[in-house]
Amino acid sequence: MFYVSVFFQYMAQYIKTKLQYRTDLIVEFVSDLMFQAVNLIFILVVFGHTQLLHGWTRDEILFIYGFFLVPYAVFGAFFNIWDFNERYIVRGEMDRVLTRPVHSLFQIILERMELESLLGGVTGIIIMIYASARLHLVFHWYDVLVFIVFVLGGALVYAGVFISLATISFWSDARSSIMPMMYNISNYGRYPIDIYNRFIRYILTWILPFAFVGVYPSAYFLGKTEWYGYAFLTPVMGLIFFIIAVFLWNAGVKRYRGAGN
Amino acid sequence: MVNAIEVEKLRKEFKSYSSRAGLIGAFRDLFTRNYKIIRAVNDISFTVKQGEMVGYIGENGAGKSTTIKMLTGILTPTSGKVIVNGMIPHKEREAFVRTIGVVFGQRSQLWWDIAVQESFRLLKKVYRVSDRDYKEHMEHVIDTLDIGPLLDKPVRKLSLGQRMRCELAAALIHNPPLLFLDEPTIGLDVLVKLKIRKFLKEINEKYNTTILLTTHDISDIEALCERVIMLDEGKIIYDGSLQRLKANWGEGKQLQFTFANEIRLDALYALTNGLPVKWRKGEQANAWVAHVSPSLVPEVISRVVSGYDIQDMNINEISTEEIIRNIYEEGVVHG
Repeated sequence: MFYVSVFFQYMAQYIKTKLQYRTDLIVEFVSDLMFQAVNLIFILVVFGHTQLLHGWTRDEILFIYGFFLVPYAVFGAFFNIWDFNERYIVRGEMDRVLTRPVHSLFQIILERMELESLLGGVTGIIIMIYASARLHLVFHWYDVLVFIVFVLGGALVYAGVFISLATISFWSDARSSIMPMMYNISNYGRYPIDIYNRFIRYILTWILPFAFVGVYPSAYFLGKTEWYGYAFLTPVMGLIFFIIAVFLWNAGVKRYRGAGN
Repeated sequence: MVNAIEVEKLRKEFKSYSSRAGLIGAFRDLFTRNYKIIRAVNDISFTVKQGEMVGYIGENGAGKSTTIKMLTGILTPTSGKVIVNGMIPHKEREAFVRTIGVVFGQRSQLWWDIAVQESFRLLKKVYRVSDRDYKEHMEHVIDTLDIGPLLDKPVRKLSLGQRMRCELAAALIHNPPLLFLDEPTIGLDVLVKLKIRKFLKEINEKYNTTILLTTHDISDIEALCERVIMLDEGKIIYDGSLQRLKANWGEGKQLQFTFANEIRLDALYALTNGLPVKWRKGEQANAWVAHVSPSLVPEVISRVVSGYDIQDMNINEISTEEIIRNIYEEGVVHG
């Protein structure tokens, strides 16, 4: 309960900060919207050339992509701590975080919150609506709940992987190029999994389970029954990876060396 | 609870590697590294009673910050016992930090972009302070630190002195029984320093707040602390009252001479041969400082004046600053 109220307090502060810079806010909002519009057009153009990919139709692939954007947006809004090393370890901000009576990871997530990323989710939903209209998909009332659970699961998979990567900073001072590489790999999850060979498929399912952010949960909505098992694993994988990340984090904090001053 | 801080044989080691010189050295480093264990804090023990104000001093790199970070739960000690406010800081961090206040002079606790009062409100939430406690306690703090007019300004628009007063207020929102101040007066002007010192004294008297203070400004210590703990290369080299430190080291006077011509150190020692005088180079050109016991002052002056041309001369009490510098330079405390 305490954490929920702290969350809202931080969110209120975040919004107040944004409102402080009025012109900034408008410029940012407009440019975000334009970025999303360009993104949308780009996707439609690119997928316009694909017809069939390993038995997946163009619209199905589009739907997966649209779905992928939603958990990705949630991840971007709350768990995107790619600059953790730079900001908290090198500049020593971690010291401050550790002197406050709230879990350190939670504080950092709140401080790095970027709610405008959620706009990307809107693009995703538009794409999904467009694709499902063309596919004549039928949805039930409970699909909304399933959707929310899958989105959270996918976002937690993402968060788990990237938080685990961020914890490397606790052990090593060196800045690594793993983060950008991982962003690349994470993109593989938004294409049908069976276009890859078995090895990559295995990795994307169990090691860096980005397939749970895009293709597996989408398969449920697309009615691909052969993938249902994987689809329903989405929240489980999300929780497992997130819990692993929190464990690594807690172990890392014990190793924290601080920045000299 | 009698002791606010209990530290026994506390040690913190950092592993660092020294890189070899040159390109070939860099390649060799890739395979085998020369690790060196550096003991930043080396088996120190001390206790601080509730309500004490203690100055924690030492040169840069002596291990002050590392100790403070272990006491506040930021760092995990390599070995030794540390109990602060009855808890082990790094083990029960979240419960523990609610009983302490921390001000790092070089790092802000406040949010840069939002108004000071919004930062306070957020911290109030984080520390779970009730509206009543907040009002009762903070009104007084805000008043004494004179930051009422600053509350609606964003932190980035404050001057350093204004910001520092707000930082101090922020650290006290939950009225902690123990306050850690790491160089709280760094870069501040005299008036702000005085205000902050007065305030710290006041809360110490009013709430019996324990204060552990690190600083390079010895006048802070003189104004506030009856006890100093001095650290050198990770070891405590002095722990006791400031008076005793002064008594042991500070007897005597300083005679500062500015000579008309350049002069060598051995010439000066030759001049005062037979007297227990210590010479040291002064800050200006041709300036030399003699450290002598009071009874020898006339003798030394007469010998110097009769031997050389003098442009200027001063007789000073030895300042605490001077004493501390002597200790840093020689590394041991005698007496």
